[in-house]
Amino acid sequence: MSKYSVIGTRVNMVGGTDKVTGNAKYTTDINLPGMLYGKILRSPHPHAKILKIDTSKAEKMVGVKAVVTGKDTIGKKQGIWRRFPELCDEEILCRTKVRYIGDAVASVAAVDEDTAEEALELIKVDYEVLPAVFDPMEAITEEAPQIHEGVELNINVNRHIEWGNVDDAFKKCDHIREDQFVCSSQAHMCMETHCAIASFDYNGKLTVWTSTQSSYYIQVLLMDMLGMREGDIRVINPYTGGGFGSKFELDSAQFCASLLSKKICKPVKIVLNRMEEFTATKRRTPMYYFLKLGAKKDGTLLAKEVRVITEGGAYTAMGATALYLTGFFSSFPYKYPNYRYDGYRAYTNTQPSSAMRGFGAPQSTFVGESQLDMIADDLGIDPFEIRRKNGMTPDYVVPGQAFIQSCGLHQCLDKIEAHIKERGKLPPNRGIGIAAYGFMSGGIFNWFDTPYAFSAAIVKINIDGKVDLFTGANEIGQGSDTTLSLICAEELGVNFDDIRIHSADTGICPADLGAWGSRQTLMSGNAVKMAAADAKRQLMEFAAAKLGVNIVYDLDIKDGWIHLIDRPERGVSYLDIVKATIRGKDGETIIGRGHYTPHRKGMISPAYSFGIQAAEVEVDPETGKYKLLSATTAHDSGQVINPVGIEGQLEGAIMMAGGYGYCEDQPTENGRVLNPAIGDYQLIRSLDMPETNILEIDTYEPEGPFGAKEAGEGLTNPTAGAIGNAIYKAVGVRINTLPITPEKVFRALKEKEKKEKK
Amino acid sequence: MSYHCPVCKKISPAPLDLARHMIGRGDKVHRDWIYSKGFKYSELLLLQIKSFGGEGFKALAEVLEKETKVE
Repeated sequence: MSKYSVIGTRVNMVGGTDKVTGNAKYTTDINLPGMLYGKILRSPHPHAKILKIDTSKAEKMVGVKAVVTGKDTIGKKQGIWRRFPELCDEEILCRTKVRYIGDAVASVAAVDEDTAEEALELIKVDYEVLPAVFDPMEAITEEAPQIHEGVELNINVNRHIEWGNVDDAFKKCDHIREDQFVCSSQAHMCMETHCAIASFDYNGKLTVWTSTQSSYYIQVLLMDMLGMREGDIRVINPYTGGGFGSKFELDSAQFCASLLSKKICKPVKIVLNRMEEFTATKRRTPMYYFLKLGAKKDGTLLAKEVRVITEGGAYTAMGATALYLTGFFSSFPYKYPNYRYDGYRAYTNTQPSSAMRGFGAPQSTFVGESQLDMIADDLGIDPFEIRRKNGMTPDYVVPGQAFIQSCGLHQCLDKIEAHIKERGKLPPNRGIGIAAYGFMSGGIFNWFDTPYAFSAAIVKINIDGKVDLFTGANEIGQGSDTTLSLICAEELGVNFDDIRIHSADTGICPADLGAWGSRQTLMSGNAVKMAAADAKRQLMEFAAAKLGVNIVYDLDIKDGWIHLIDRPERGVSYLDIVKATIRGKDGETIIGRGHYTPHRKGMISPAYSFGIQAAEVEVDPETGKYKLLSATTAHDSGQVINPVGIEGQLEGAIMMAGGYGYCEDQPTENGRVLNPAIGDYQLIRSLDMPETNILEIDTYEPEGPFGAKEAGEGLTNPTAGAIGNAIYKAVGVRINTLPITPEKVFRALKEKEKKEKK
Repeated sequence: MSYHCPVCKKISPAPLDLARHMIGRGDKVHRDWIYSKGFKYSELLLLQIKSFGGEGFKALAEVLEKETKVE
């Protein structure tokens, strides 16, 4: 029997009923009195100087209420990098230069969308077209045009990680491999496109309803870009249809709607269309990987060296963090005694690349797990054995970087190996590939230089025993409202249904960095647990007095019953004590406060999830076409808080990560995205979904609330690598570039045939 | 023994670490110091990018070892 009453139980998602009945109000569903509609004019050139913008005709058009250009801004460049101002490089409304097809140059507010759209055509922009560069390997040459003034070789940022003595270690290796890989781009493909409604009133206050992963970041970034005070801006996050890394930076819809509203004191709604979503927002970072891996004959890994050049696109965005994390996670989940990483992010005249689910780790896992299978094959060692021999274990220190407390990797290996054995001998052209991974459980990055705790929560207990939970955490469809409500209910000893959560409204909720870096379960969860414990303590003071208990006894609440832990039959009703506490405190509300910021937990994260995935494919050797039949994952997420949520996260992750491995890509020609429509952008659809299974692993993370850690983003890391390894097992060809399309498999099979004939 | 960045005074345990810091920081003041020692910043970067072994760092580290050592 579980020691917990609420966590680990199967509950309906908070807000789920609204969603399935169509009653949930997303930003795009909200309409305010007198609201105007905004549209954004974007650059048709990948690289050009803006000589002149003439908006006069658009301004005179009937129905147009306001037009803004870069001249209406205070001329600041935005970015989350408040501690590194040189990385804040995006104006959003360009004043002098555009750097990719899709850069915003003007915005119009009109009485309806059609009028706003027509008005855009009346805006005349004179450009001087400049030479452009699209490939990162070309961008870092002396001959390439400079995209940002003063940035040599267009190298936006570089990151280095090193420990041990890599050069010496390679000399001691029995076998060394050098391999190159290319990882493609990927669109976030949120069901809800970027959108915002901004309403600036005559009192000088701005309210913004927007689809975002961090209300707090958007509040402060708007403050910087509009020259306002933080407290004069309220950001509300209604129901949100996905983020996946694309929605925690200030976007053109949020900024232009706010600027327009500020100009005319009327609410303005901007909803990006799907083409803008594909071409004028951010995307997953494409990467060129150069790997060197050395091992002893018995499979002991001695040294690894990694060089990466990433296609940054026009602006920094969150790309600098993706660059660092892909280097950090290139060492995962193994104990490399000697490791060196050099990463370079190149500016190009393409759509900026940034954070996307996994934040650089899906790329490093694909290349790392592919190469590990390759070296195992060279040495004649079983893929499980090489992973077991080198895999991380609890209490492992990644030198200078991280401290791993809980780690269930070896349990995961056992479970997946047993699963594969159960499958028995496979028919011809079928293969099962594996990929192991680890991921952060809450990013310790304060690029934003926030003085607030990373997460905070307030718990208010009402006279009827019901609880209001206030948190700045953002529910974006991943289920954080449900998880945090479960944690609150467990700590307070009340029912799940007794909790009413209010989240991600900067006007009423404490600051929280938001939903990125797999941080909400651990960080926001710890804050909620602490706030609930604080409120609970206030009740216990009265309960102890009422029960007249000996000081040696501790009290707890379970199922609405406050009782002595060692004598649970002796207690008092939770409801009676709530009333007594409020009455006894002269009517003062019972409020508990909690906060969490990791201290002395390394550079990356206070905890790490681990796992291993097995993907089974069936390849048609005639055509190269293959089917992803199943994906079975053993994932170590510590104590499971919300089992239904994990199942949902796993299915979503397979769909997204499988798409990354199998078919998703954003090819460009001269900086123009060639497939900017859902009809042209290939992804795994419901009918293509493989069977997905999750195998439970029992671990406990000391840093997590009730021992929990992340169970969402990490699941997107292994699939591309597992598919690549499965195809090799099935038909003996290795594809080093993503996505692994049937065409690439076909060509590789033909190449293999030729070699075999020779 | 430690090595102080001649620009921002950041302390590094080894000249190679300091070279990593200076090239990694890459802002104008750090680049200017690198230029003043006869290196071209972009060439050091290219050395780094084009081959394994951290050759760009090693080249700068040789100079830093002589000039920035502090007891």
